Amino acid sequence: MNDPIEHGNAPAPTPSVASLIEAVLLISSRPVSLTTFLSIMALPEADIRAAIGELKGRYSPKSSGIVLREVAGGYQLATNPACAAAVERFREEARPGPLSGAAHEVLACVLYLGPLTRAGINAARGVNSDAVVRNLLDRNLLVEVGRDRESAGAPALLDITEDFLVAAGARSRDDFPALEALVDPEEITRIRERVSGGPDESPAQASYGGSE
Amino acid sequence: MKAEPEPQGRRALAAFTVELDVYSGPYEGLLSLILKHELEIFEVPLRELVSLYRSAYHAPGTQALGSGLERDADFVDSATSLVLLKGFALIPTPETEEEAGEEALAPQDLEERLVTYLKIRRGAEALGERFAKNAALYPSGHALRPRSRSLRVHPDRLAGAVRRAFLRTAEPEVGHLGPITVTVDELVGLIRTSLMRGPLSFEDLVRDMDRLRSAVAFAATLSLASEGQVNLSQDEPFGPLTLEPAE
Repeated sequence: MNDPIEHGNAPAPTPSVASLIEAVLLISSRPVSLTTFLSIMALPEADIRAAIGELKGRYSPKSSGIVLREVAGGYQLATNPACAAAVERFREEARPGPLSGAAHEVLACVLYLGPLTRAGINAARGVNSDAVVRNLLDRNLLVEVGRDRESAGAPALLDITEDFLVAAGARSRDDFPALEALVDPEEITRIRERVSGGPDESPAQASYGGSE
Repeated sequence: MKAEPEPQGRRALAAFTVELDVYSGPYEGLLSLILKHELEIFEVPLRELVSLYRSAYHAPGTQALGSGLERDADFVDSATSLVLLKGFALIPTPETEEEAGEEALAPQDLEERLVTYLKIRRGAEALGERFAKNAALYPSGHALRPRSRSLRVHPDRLAGAVRRAFLRTAEPEVGHLGPITVTVDELVGLIRTSLMRGPLSFEDLVRDMDRLRSAVAFAATLSLASEGQVNLSQDEPFGPLTLEPAE
């Protein structure tokens, strides 16, 4: 069998920019930013962008088992979701179970209202979320980014992480829809009516509290 | 999940075992872990627990397992306690006196909080869908070494780490303790001598000892076991502990 890197006496061809980027992406499990490519390749930004565009075409989900994702402020090669079953059988590992509803709520609090203290999360959800926060810190989906010096005891401020953006398939915070866009205005009107004691319901019927 | 026939004289729920995502084993062990705070009550799906119990003892064809009434009562008692524990754990802890004395919310504030919560709820649902959609993408398995230029440590975290590194813990107050009149070596000798007559129950060993000697005897037992000189056996958590000379 021929050695794929054997070129005989002929000089090795100079790899294209796309090949260089492809090689770097292959060995990185973390997203690689455009800035990193610029610093390691010393090439014009336009050339790198063009090469990334070429790779996007090459790694199209329609024709490849590998896809090029743009996540967490960088680029990452990952397996095509359509091939997930084969990958999981090969790894002999089931896909990790989904996070709980409470965990998603805590992450949504921090994503949309953060950076936020634990007390801020508890207040937004109406239930104690300390154990859920602990779990999310362990999973590296949340991280302490500083202190709220305005509050007594300067509690830690929590924010989302790069792992969070990767798991959500988002380039940045801006990739998420605005909270207002997710709620039907009629729902908000109904809540206001219930709290102010509308014709049908008393204030006591309004329920508040995070999911377990 | 399974339920085995209950031998006479044992605790009613001793045979009940559970298979949950967070725990697999005897139900009593699960309770013990929760009480010792080694397992978060949040992570224990109580509804699933009740379903497991019902399918173990109240599904068709399982009536033959034990008399049931005492066991059912014990289960209801413990499950109710778990519900209470979970309920208490979910109540936000007031962090300041001001917050502790907080009065009922004004309707406008309640309205604002409810609307915010509704938005968060919807955001969480969208996030859940997004996570599920991206769960099937597996990145390259090569983990990079941290890049020195991209290492960022917040000054507060660094200050905290330095403070912890140079912190000398205060000497614990020991004035209330009596003089230590027995050593591990003495008890090791005693255990070795006792074991020459055959297997020995730990309860028998410490029967006439005071608390200090009992504690040191336990340390001596563990020391001998870790050296491989003694085999320890205990059929169930908190059950009788038996010492046997190692082969």
